[in-house]
Amino acid sequence: MTLSEVLSATKKEAHCGMCKIDYLDTGVCPSGKKHGFLAYWPEGRVELARALAENEVRPTPVLFDIVNSCNFCGICDKQCNFITQLRPMKVERALKEYADNVPKNQIQTVPEDDVLKDLRAIVGNEWATNDPLIIASYTRSALKHQPNASYYVVMPRTKEEIIAIVKLANKYKIPYLPRGNGTFFSVAMNTLLAPAVTIEQGILIDLWRMKDIDIHPETMSATIGPGVTSFELQKAASAHKLRANVAEAESHVCANAQNLGIITTWSNRYGWSSDNFIDAEKIDAEGNVIHLSDQEVPNPYATDNGVTSLSLIPNVIVTSLTVKLHHMFEDEENLFVPFTKLEDAIDMAEQLAKRDIGISLAIISSKYLSEFICPTSDVEEGFDHVLKKYLKVNYLVDIICTKQDKKIVQEMTNLIIDEPLVKSLILGSAKLASMKNSSLLKMISEENDPIKAVFGGPLRKHLERGLADTPRELVKVFDEDLRAFYEKVYSRPEMTDPVWLHMFRILPCRMERKHFWMYRGGYMPGDKQTIMKVCNALEASAQKYNINGAFGFLSYLEHGKFAHLEYDYYYDHTDPDAKKRVNQSIVDSWKRQFAIPGVTPLEFICNKGLRRKEHILYPFPAGLSEEELPLVDDLVESVFGGEDQW
Amino acid sequence: MVKYLTEEWAQQAKKKVLETLDPKKDLKSMNAVILNIVSNVPPDNKTVYYYLKFVEGNLEELLAGTDPSIQQKQAEFMVNGDYTTFVQIGKGEMSTAMALLKSRVKLTGNKMKALTITKPLDTYTSCLKTMPTEY
Repeated sequence: MTLSEVLSATKKEAHCGMCKIDYLDTGVCPSGKKHGFLAYWPEGRVELARALAENEVRPTPVLFDIVNSCNFCGICDKQCNFITQLRPMKVERALKEYADNVPKNQIQTVPEDDVLKDLRAIVGNEWATNDPLIIASYTRSALKHQPNASYYVVMPRTKEEIIAIVKLANKYKIPYLPRGNGTFFSVAMNTLLAPAVTIEQGILIDLWRMKDIDIHPETMSATIGPGVTSFELQKAASAHKLRANVAEAESHVCANAQNLGIITTWSNRYGWSSDNFIDAEKIDAEGNVIHLSDQEVPNPYATDNGVTSLSLIPNVIVTSLTVKLHHMFEDEENLFVPFTKLEDAIDMAEQLAKRDIGISLAIISSKYLSEFICPTSDVEEGFDHVLKKYLKVNYLVDIICTKQDKKIVQEMTNLIIDEPLVKSLILGSAKLASMKNSSLLKMISEENDPIKAVFGGPLRKHLERGLADTPRELVKVFDEDLRAFYEKVYSRPEMTDPVWLHMFRILPCRMERKHFWMYRGGYMPGDKQTIMKVCNALEASAQKYNINGAFGFLSYLEHGKFAHLEYDYYYDHTDPDAKKRVNQSIVDSWKRQFAIPGVTPLEFICNKGLRRKEHILYPFPAGLSEEELPLVDDLVESVFGGEDQW
Repeated sequence: MVKYLTEEWAQQAKKKVLETLDPKKDLKSMNAVILNIVSNVPPDNKTVYYYLKFVEGNLEELLAGTDPSIQQKQAEFMVNGDYTTFVQIGKGEMSTAMALLKSRVKLTGNKMKALTITKPLDTYTSCLKTMPTEY
């Protein structure tokens, strides 16, 4: 197999970073674990294969290290296929074949320059490089391909090393950029935001090695290094029967806290931004160490907001974060309440938020539920179709609560999808998807109120029984050679335990398996009128540019006073025309959102995560007038250039 | 060729702007007084002051140099940054807004008003980009 034969698969690489966490109990790629640099992980190898196939980079002797460090153990296929349906081993084989046949005279050597010598003096020879292949592996997940740009990648182990790196960058007057697991970058780098979130040359500081975790059960807190992922923190916390409020499994907690303030469905109880942590240690642009708990530092929690507050590059590197941990209760349960109309779902969720019901509380779309629980994108399409077309389920109020709160929810509605039914939906997702043209579903859809008929009537039991599938049946949708392994995975209780899935968040990257997506939305007042206005605005932008837009999730803050909305624009990031349209829709959606009082689009939250949410959200942005709205175009043109440059 | 951010450069730059740009059409009749404080200017790592005054789009003053009297001038916007960043801006490799967004420069002043002059300021820098300059 040649590189050109795997090119289209490599282009689909989503850079989700899930291959760097042990979420299926397989262990992680031994080569990546040993060498650290992205090129040695499945994600980076796939990107490198693409760069070589597209002649963006010429081979160096490091190619042989990268290729030979893979022992074809197959962990990458098990992990990656579960989430993205890709098979990295095919790419690795193509890369090996390429390396075996590359003419020796095509191999370039890369001299060590003064910057690299100094970097190696700080972190040791093996943890700093200017090798173009290693740098190419970070393309689209931190760096932009720029021929002739001087880049270095360095992997520090300590705070002291980071300080020295920052000072070195200042000495040579070159920029630097910290990288967690690249999850934010991977979304932004495919859009017009790319030049604003990356560096045009300089030092990329990959923080993966800084994995210290100290759990302090007595104070219900944890102190972590910047290389710790959400999954790793949650695992460590849950060993003490405690819970952390974390983002998607693969994201680095420190980077996520610093950038977006950890946005989750658990914000209903645990809050957002500075609510999440007790202290942070950060390195500023001069290499000074600042602790947020220092009494001498100027107010570290204040920030500005509104259209002029855009900042997409971190101006500090968080080297340690002490986060709050929370109690877990034995009687916690996940309930879903289905709705056809978003307005009705908001009415219910708002009531729950105002009364502080639900440790985790959100409205999710059927699309979101389908993406997460369905094993493949084909199943997802069928499952979502069934939910929408036949059962008329477009939205679900998603609640994790104790028994006491469950009673209140039950008083509000009897149309509840409880945990046994969720388990049936997970294991029976392929079966339900396959029923999309069945007479039974057609009959259900003809009911006056299909939701009531299915979830509140006698049909419920039929549905539950009909769907009750086994892991063995479900995994038939996977490639044959992986079925036995996935059967074991789906046989584990946690894989059908919705509370566990909400906590560990291993499934969201499934959103990337068919098409890529761009996060839209942001924070807004929690009233229904504003939420609907924002949803309609985002839908209008998507429609205007022929983008498939879909409501993702809505969560609440401050007893329902504020809401956070994720609305996703799905697009094919390998299609230049789709990329252009998504960029146009991003700009259009900014303008539409800024016209609505109180709304802060997500990008304008970036790099404010360590601030107090009150400083970010208050005073409510007034909403730009018609005369002021063209200023957004001016800002876009000045920062990102005209449409021809996107 | 003139050296960037020297008095000589400032004189030539002013001449070029006045000859090339239309105060209304290109500079959108902007009113703005800006003091740029440029640190680490080679060869001695000195601080250089770079002052601009636009009235109704007319470039009334353009001063540059190490003379501390420039620093004393009243300005509604102050922009602090390193020489390397100002070179990137001068060469058109990076807009002032992008430099701000990347925290490469710091702005003091009314940000909303700053947003209103972003476009004419880009036109101003782009005009000077073509002037032969030694960086």
